[in-house]
Amino acid sequence: MITALLVILGFFAGFLGALTGIGGGVLLSPILALHFDISIRQAIGTSLVAVITTSAASSSVHLQRHTTDIRLGMTLELATAFGAAVTAYLVGYFNRNALEGLFAGFLLYSAITILTKGGKVKPLEDEPIPAVEEGVIPPYEPKRYPLGLAASLVAGALSGLLGIGGGPIKVPVMYIFMNVPLVVATATSNFMIGVTAAASAIVYYRRGDILVQYAAPLAVGVFVGSLLGARLAPRIHTKVVVYLLVGVMFYLAGHLILHLLRGWL
Amino acid sequence: MSQVREPDFDRVVALVLRIGAFGCFFIMLAGLIDGLFVGGHIPVDIERAGVLLMLATPVVRVIVACFLFFQEKDWKYGWISLGVLVILMLGSVFGIGEH
Repeated sequence: MITALLVILGFFAGFLGALTGIGGGVLLSPILALHFDISIRQAIGTSLVAVITTSAASSSVHLQRHTTDIRLGMTLELATAFGAAVTAYLVGYFNRNALEGLFAGFLLYSAITILTKGGKVKPLEDEPIPAVEEGVIPPYEPKRYPLGLAASLVAGALSGLLGIGGGPIKVPVMYIFMNVPLVVATATSNFMIGVTAAASAIVYYRRGDILVQYAAPLAVGVFVGSLLGARLAPRIHTKVVVYLLVGVMFYLAGHLILHLLRGWL
Repeated sequence: MSQVREPDFDRVVALVLRIGAFGCFFIMLAGLIDGLFVGGHIPVDIERAGVLLMLATPVVRVIVACFLFFQEKDWKYGWISLGVLVILMLGSVFGIGEH
């Protein structure tokens, strides 16, 4: 029964994530922690598996379109993987309340940011994304590596701490500051997420914070959901869905805060 | 130029990711279906194999890219890939941070 619920949960997280650009990890961990009665640390570790699954599946598609800059991705991964491994390690010393508080804060911040941007999630959605065919991307030279590496370190640290992908940090930094075309920045960010999440997931796994009976059905659902979502994304008007997800984020943040307060009272 | 169009390079790395993702999907699915009919630890072991393959996929991706860079005599990115690999390995070798 729980297994079936997890497959469905994974399916919706993957589907809505691919549709809107709101990553699955940010929703999955709090839902697992609040409604499936596992600790927030285990919830984060478990949803990291789903994050890797999504990255591997979608990144293989981007790679075949030749829009991924593997060299740039690999360079920035030095920073994301390091940041992720360090915070994943530190999480072992965090108590439950601190982690739940951080997560609630992150959810509120994300939800409010999306609202103030008028429901735009995908970075710089207004920019026309040109249809990419082989060789169409204009030549470019990535710039400002120190800044890119610093931002990647932060994105990686957040990933290890909260089990998220960190795309909303990496994409704008590559696009605006590093002089990388948006299509390439998006594909490369996606490419990096797998290694970043693996760096922290390995630490979570060794600590026993990945529950395979939860991770497997979740990943199966996420896999199917994200493939379907990616296919339908160009055809569905996503703003309503985004606002729905913002509502879910507020609900989860509120729930986490209540959970914290109950612990103190 | 960081951006060199290398269709073959992309294809090999994409293949690694695709094998990992689809492989995991089917292994985990087999574990779930097995779990419907059989109790005990066998379904869980199958699911564990799927999870471990998923964790290994990005690592294999880095190893393959590292190998390809060195084969192309692109030393700089070969070493960078090796660095990423070392960081990934540190997580599995070093302390766990258990409380």
